[in-house]
Amino acid sequence: MNRVISRFAYRTLLQLHPASFQHEFGAEMLWIFDEEYEQGAAPYLFLDGAISLLRQRCRVQNDPGQVSITSGAIITGPGIGPVRLLQAGITFSLIFFSLMRLSSHPSPFTLSVRWADRMPCYTITLQAPSHAEVVLKNMP
Amino acid sequence: MVFKTTKNAPLSSATLHILLALAGGDLHGYGIIKEVTRNSDGHYRLGPGTLYDNLKKLMDGGLVADAVTSSSSKRKSASTKGDDRRFYTLTNEGKNALASEVDRLQSVVREARLRLQEVRAGRA
Repeated sequence: MNRVISRFAYRTLLQLHPASFQHEFGAEMLWIFDEEYEQGAAPYLFLDGAISLLRQRCRVQNDPGQVSITSGAIITGPGIGPVRLLQAGITFSLIFFSLMRLSSHPSPFTLSVRWADRMPCYTITLQAPSHAEVVLKNMP
Repeated sequence: MVFKTTKNAPLSSATLHILLALAGGDLHGYGIIKEVTRNSDGHYRLGPGTLYDNLKKLMDGGLVADAVTSSSSKRKSASTKGDDRRFYTLTNEGKNALASEVDRLQSVVREARLRLQEVRAGRA
């Protein structure tokens, strides 16, 4: 994957994070991306960034104090224009291709589901090529 | 969001690894990632998203803080890019939380060893 495009896509991914998180850690995350990219960890970094985006967005929705900050940023900001939409499209395409690349390794995903209190509880474990492990679960 | 640090509350793997990494000294974000990878012999690796998500929670909970008193020479030795990186340090609360977690893990290991001895004795 071209480094310039990858960096652009990762930066867009960071820009989709809540403003407060982005301002506090965005530059450092981009720096780590630059360092780790050299070691061929781009697919894992995109996956990690996408999970981070989901976590931060869920946290903002669950935290009334942060909602007001984010809402303010949206109101005062330029809004979602065609350029931002294009950036987001490229970013999610790269995430998709990263996942496809990861899934070419033997059994990278482990999924376990059980029922508790009439609700499905799931655990998804992703074993990346560099022994990194990403675990998503909704169990308490 | 406030990071809950009730006594004997288990820490997540990522949190434990970050606190362990910072127990060795102040580090910047990439330094923490490197240290965690080194400490776990490459078996556990943090991504930047996971790192900063946990760091934010730890900072909100007062377990980790910005290292404002670190010496510049120490920083230079840890970073090849000079002093412009943000360094993190373990607070006293963070040290206490880490010590509590180590005690908890020790009791788990002790209990596990006892159970294993019972199982082995039952087989013999």
